[in-house]
Amino acid sequence: MELIINVNDIEYKLDVNPRMRLLDVLRENLGLTGAKEGCGEGECGACTIIMDGLAINSCMVLAHQARGKKIITVEALEQDGEMDRLQEAFINNGAVQCGYCTPGMLMSCKALLMNNPNPTDEEIKIAIEGNLCRCTGYIKIVRAVKEAIQNQ
Amino acid sequence: MMNEMNFKMPASLNELALNLDNADEKTYLISGGTDLIIKLREKKIYSGTIIDLKGIQELNYIRQIEQTICIGANTTFTEMIHSEILIKNAPCLVQAAEQIGSTQIRNAATIGGNIANAFAGADAIPALIAMGVKVKMMNAKGEFFLKDIDEVVIGSGKNSLHKDEVITEVIAPVLGHGYKSFFGKVGSRERVTIAKLNMAVVVKNNHETGVIEDARVVLGSLGPKAFRSDLVEIELVGKYITDSLQTEFEKALITQIDISIAGRSSRPYKREAVKALSEDAFSNLFGSPAWRCNNEK
Repeated sequence: MELIINVNDIEYKLDVNPRMRLLDVLRENLGLTGAKEGCGEGECGACTIIMDGLAINSCMVLAHQARGKKIITVEALEQDGEMDRLQEAFINNGAVQCGYCTPGMLMSCKALLMNNPNPTDEEIKIAIEGNLCRCTGYIKIVRAVKEAIQNQ
Repeated sequence: MMNEMNFKMPASLNELALNLDNADEKTYLISGGTDLIIKLREKKIYSGTIIDLKGIQELNYIRQIEQTICIGANTTFTEMIHSEILIKNAPCLVQAAEQIGSTQIRNAATIGGNIANAFAGADAIPALIAMGVKVKMMNAKGEFFLKDIDEVVIGSGKNSLHKDEVITEVIAPVLGHGYKSFFGKVGSRERVTIAKLNMAVVVKNNHETGVIEDARVVLGSLGPKAFRSDLVEIELVGKYITDSLQTEFEKALITQIDISIAGRSSRPYKREAVKALSEDAFSNLFGSPAWRCNNEK
């Protein structure tokens, strides 16, 4: 079934089985492997992407439901060889360890800053409550987001 | 086709009615997708027809029409949390929406889906029952009809809808003067947790006499579906708000737990957990204990 989908400002015309999830299409059809499948049931957030300005789990939305929506994946954070200030701040603060959660974590934080440029600590915590990280203990991630806010 | 998944994308209620015409047991309605996609994968369902409701813009709204609040079935929990109408008129619904899943789930999951999914530990359902909402549905002929929420959610994972029917709207009354509401839950952790116990309370407090005139107490995760607890409600109605009432309220809740899940291994835990919930409910609805003592008669 034909699917026209806008990912990272590029419009794609694809042939997609209706039972495929957005995550499957991003990874398998478009080769955008930043979003990861961790749990496949909305617990871990490793598959987080931004759809029409909001963070969502791409494992819990069908690809065809994303028709006409604007999708942003972690691959679009870097622009013209320049990292997003969030990515810089994650590196500066040691907020990346094994790295599996990082793309999802970055997208949850990016969605937060797109909607709320000056979040409180509490708002940062709520924004990433759906992203599991077993390495950092979250403190460094929150610190990185706060640094990214400062560097706006 | 036998072994294929078909996908329908109605853009309006009229188109949806046409799509519902041939609905059978292999027809699946999807809105946010946070429940259905997991179910289809768990049950290895690879064929049938998925009808996507998310493209129906006319099902996405929160409106107040005089003494009624209408919530379109596609409204997400994130949208409910930010609704001035709900913040003002239905705090328990906002509190429930805030505590559902994670940010990502609240951005996708919808009120219609939460009702249809009828999960025994669903957070919105106790709040909807306490608010006394009606659910508006549509059939394949495009006819609309209303049912009490309690007649729609009929058991654990069971709703009373026929395959060719769809939830289109939730209709809540604006609670009158003196009414307050609360929703709280206890799970294995503070956030992003499935309720081991949840509770919604709606009370009417007469400010002149200080007496509670109406009380609805709904408990979830204590059986196949959330229910109003008569024995807890009786404990509140006609009483002054005092510290001893809080003790009686807590005792009644524990009694309800003993009755509802007698013999279950979760009973000792829930008997303890409900104490924190009853305290939260009391301070949220009636203010701090210090304030209460001053008003004791």
